Amino acid sequence: MMKLEAIIQPSRFESVKDALVEIGIEGMTVTEVRGHGRQKGHTEVYRGREYTVDLLPKIKLELVLPDKLVDKAVETILKTAKTGKIGDGKIFLTRVDDAIRIRNEERGENALQ
Amino acid sequence: MNFAARPGLDRSSDPKNEPRRRTAPDTQRLVTPVSTLAPQIDSQRQRIRDGFAAGASAKETLQALCAMADRSIEQVFAELQSARGMESQGLCVLALGGYGRELLFPYSDLDILFVFGNERAERDFRPLIAEFSKTLWDVGFRVSSAGRTLEECKRIEEDNAEFHLALLDRRYITGDQELFERLDSKVLPGPERQARPFLSAQIRKLTRERLARYGNTIFHLEPNVKESPGGMRDFQAAAWLRQVCGEKREFWNSTAAEEELASGAVDFLSAIRCFLHYSNQRNDNTLTYELQAKAAERGLGLPPNAALDNRRSTAEWMRVYFRQARTLNRQLLRYMEQKAPTQQSLRQRILSAARGPKIDAGDGKPFAVRDGLLEVLDQTALADRAVLFSLFAMAAKTGVPLSREAERTIAYVMLHPELTVRNAQISWPAFQEILGSDFPGVALRPMQRLGLLTGILPEFAVIDSLVVRDFYHRYTVDEHTLRTIEHLQELAGPPDARGVNYSSIWKTVDRRDLLILSLLLHDVGKGMPVENHVAGSVQALETAAARLKLSADEKTEVHFLIERHLDMSATVQRRDIFDPTTVSGFASIVQTPERLQRLCLLTYADIHAVNPEALTPWKAEMLWQLFVATSNHFSRTLDRDRLHALDEVPVLQQVRKLTGSAGTESIERFLEGFPRRYLAVHTPSDVAGHFGLYQKLDAEPVQIDLVATQHAYSLTLLTADRPALFATIAGVLAGWGMNIIKADAFANAAGVVLDTFHFTDLHRTLELNPTEVERFCKSLLDVVRGTSPLEVLLKSRASSGRQRPPKVEVATRISFDDTSSTHSTLLEIVTQDHPGLLHEIGSALARLDCNIEVALVDTEGQKAIDVFYLTSQHKKLGAQKQETLRELLQGTLA
Repeated sequence: MMKLEAIIQPSRFESVKDALVEIGIEGMTVTEVRGHGRQKGHTEVYRGREYTVDLLPKIKLELVLPDKLVDKAVETILKTAKTGKIGDGKIFLTRVDDAIRIRNEERGENALQ
Repeated sequence: MNFAARPGLDRSSDPKNEPRRRTAPDTQRLVTPVSTLAPQIDSQRQRIRDGFAAGASAKETLQALCAMADRSIEQVFAELQSARGMESQGLCVLALGGYGRELLFPYSDLDILFVFGNERAERDFRPLIAEFSKTLWDVGFRVSSAGRTLEECKRIEEDNAEFHLALLDRRYITGDQELFERLDSKVLPGPERQARPFLSAQIRKLTRERLARYGNTIFHLEPNVKESPGGMRDFQAAAWLRQVCGEKREFWNSTAAEEELASGAVDFLSAIRCFLHYSNQRNDNTLTYELQAKAAERGLGLPPNAALDNRRSTAEWMRVYFRQARTLNRQLLRYMEQKAPTQQSLRQRILSAARGPKIDAGDGKPFAVRDGLLEVLDQTALADRAVLFSLFAMAAKTGVPLSREAERTIAYVMLHPELTVRNAQISWPAFQEILGSDFPGVALRPMQRLGLLTGILPEFAVIDSLVVRDFYHRYTVDEHTLRTIEHLQELAGPPDARGVNYSSIWKTVDRRDLLILSLLLHDVGKGMPVENHVAGSVQALETAAARLKLSADEKTEVHFLIERHLDMSATVQRRDIFDPTTVSGFASIVQTPERLQRLCLLTYADIHAVNPEALTPWKAEMLWQLFVATSNHFSRTLDRDRLHALDEVPVLQQVRKLTGSAGTESIERFLEGFPRRYLAVHTPSDVAGHFGLYQKLDAEPVQIDLVATQHAYSLTLLTADRPALFATIAGVLAGWGMNIIKADAFANAAGVVLDTFHFTDLHRTLELNPTEVERFCKSLLDVVRGTSPLEVLLKSRASSGRQRPPKVEVATRISFDDTSSTHSTLLEIVTQDHPGLLHEIGSALARLDCNIEVALVDTEGQKAIDVFYLTSQHKKLGAQKQETLRELLQGTLA
């Protein structure tokens, strides 16, 4: 099992979610986050007041997937989240030792279904 | 009910405890073993449940449950006593709380108090009580018990108000009856009398906390029929207040009809609560969507022949629920406002009678502010609805809410057949006064409760108490709507971190009345049989606008806000708001900064009112970023997009129609070359008016038009462009002591300048002296024509003027932008506003030979925000000139 964390543009979230659902991935955790990588923030002035946006709004998706679905999920996110501009985000993959469904204590990949 | 436990004796209900822990029967102690007793009790429970399913009333069901619990307690107590050979002297068992009031719901806890004659009795009875409690649990009761000696009962435990409140509902079940009578008639009355102020304050405190936990509204999509406002706990709190402060109906000023309504509401809610317990098979009081449908299907709590609209029976049944909940909530809130009678000395009573109640004089009005609430002084005057609406206008203006008693009086007046109603229809200007005030929600909320809002806007009735199943929304549609307005008015005070940026927009937004009207109608379509609720809401506007007699422009604006009320939120969530194309696309939909402000506030409020967590700081920030980017887009791209009259066929046609005989070519010449914003901020009738002035330029080269608006004046001036024109007009206004709050200056391709100034008359010169209007206009014309010097006017003002120090210090900020416009240099000045400021800036610009191509002047409190598009000899300003101008302005504004 792998944990997939994707930081994406908020504007791409609906498309990414729909595409993941289409390939059979329905469970995900979504968080509104702020941050920056190479795409630094910028400063806006409104009515004489400066607003510095040094941390840009992003969406973080977290999914734990059976190994066989990982490549497909990555490919889907790459395809739907990419605009080609700086700030499109990143995908991180980490190995997961176990998963437990709290309701019935099922373990492993069974707990993911 | 969870009372503070005493070690070794008390056992409070703990959700972790299993309600039915069957243990091996102890036959040596209990004559009837648990194995026999439990099925007997189960079978009684089942009979009661079957009876409820077969149509027994909630009252019958609760009484049967209570009687069954009483019998079981008596039996277990008697058998344990007999098995142990103990007399009951020195111990009695009492029912408290809901059980004490004989309102025992199927899966509710049994609140029990053991009262001991003394500490020795407590020690002696301890094993029996332990066995007694265990047995009750084993036969399926959830016992929540406490124990006190008679002596301890005299003490008021200030950290355990709930116990004392529950004790108010005490009822003897079994044990030493004489002990109970001593407790009830000798021991408790004294301490309880002394504790009245404490208990009264505690009831109010606990109630306020509980109501706040549920957002202070009964209108939850899935309400908790026990705890949420309008639930059974409201009834209980009201009953406690009556017990603590006195039972006399006269004191609470309740009519027999109101008592009957409350009693009916309790029966209705009791039926639902029984139904919920039986359906969930536990003490869960949440009326979920699924159970709403089932309850509606069963017609729960309704008379057998109640007719429900089959198509939407669940929604209709929920409306009945909310009506009943409102009855209980209204009664409780009215009781909460009622002051508990306090004992006064003779001197205090005489002084109090001489002083009378603390009332802010109502200036002859039939209402006044008393103790921070609006009270009705003369109810017969309210038969004139104009007076009634002025009461709401006062609430909206001052933010002082109506007292519950005032609402009750109004409800009475509205139903009273003997009072002749006058001015039944509210005029649009009177309604505007409410909608456009700082606190519209303070008026609209009681207007909705009293049915006055649906009287003015019958379109609103379809969303009254309407439950629409939705994953995100927490409240009924009408409640959501009113909350949007309340979230906006909260921006007037110090708002939370999410609202800080929006506060300044709310304080300065133009046509707040139209924004609030749009909010009132934006979700009305949810109650209409339409596919798309937005289309329904727009449809509702048609009838509302015709009835309220909105002008065409007002209707267009409200139409836009309703039709586009989801656009800004959708742009924030689904588009890259940092992409300039997104911003310019959004700006082209919104068209003007004024409209952008209204749409932004509407979106902020709409998201905020979905549920308390819906407007995350993240979303508030995103929305603000889009607002700032679009707002800057407007001010930085003004001269990029100029009008080509030939492309504006619909406008040309409208203006031609309004002006009658004017030739199209002449109108085209007038419009050609104005910035597109000109058409965005002016209606066709404004344009027609301006064109009328333009036509007279041949005869008289300076044309002016002065119009008094609700709170200010609007001056339009047309003439051929010339150096320092803007500074000169601003100077005349300053010379007359006028405060410019907004201005813009546009020029067309033929070099005709159209300047508009909105100003307030600080000294009310024009308002109080109508003849001065003519003198003012003449003075302006003379100065602009050059026949009269401006300096004389300014000098006289300077000698009479007295400048007050500013309340807020605003640092001056001057910035140039050479990139946004292809033709001009943008100069943005943010500085402390003061009379004559615009003249000073305009003069500085004229001195350096800067030509104003476009000007946008605005104020925000004491902050002036001015943007000028400048050229010098038809070119952008060079770096050297910018620096010189900066120094000159800094010196002028210092």
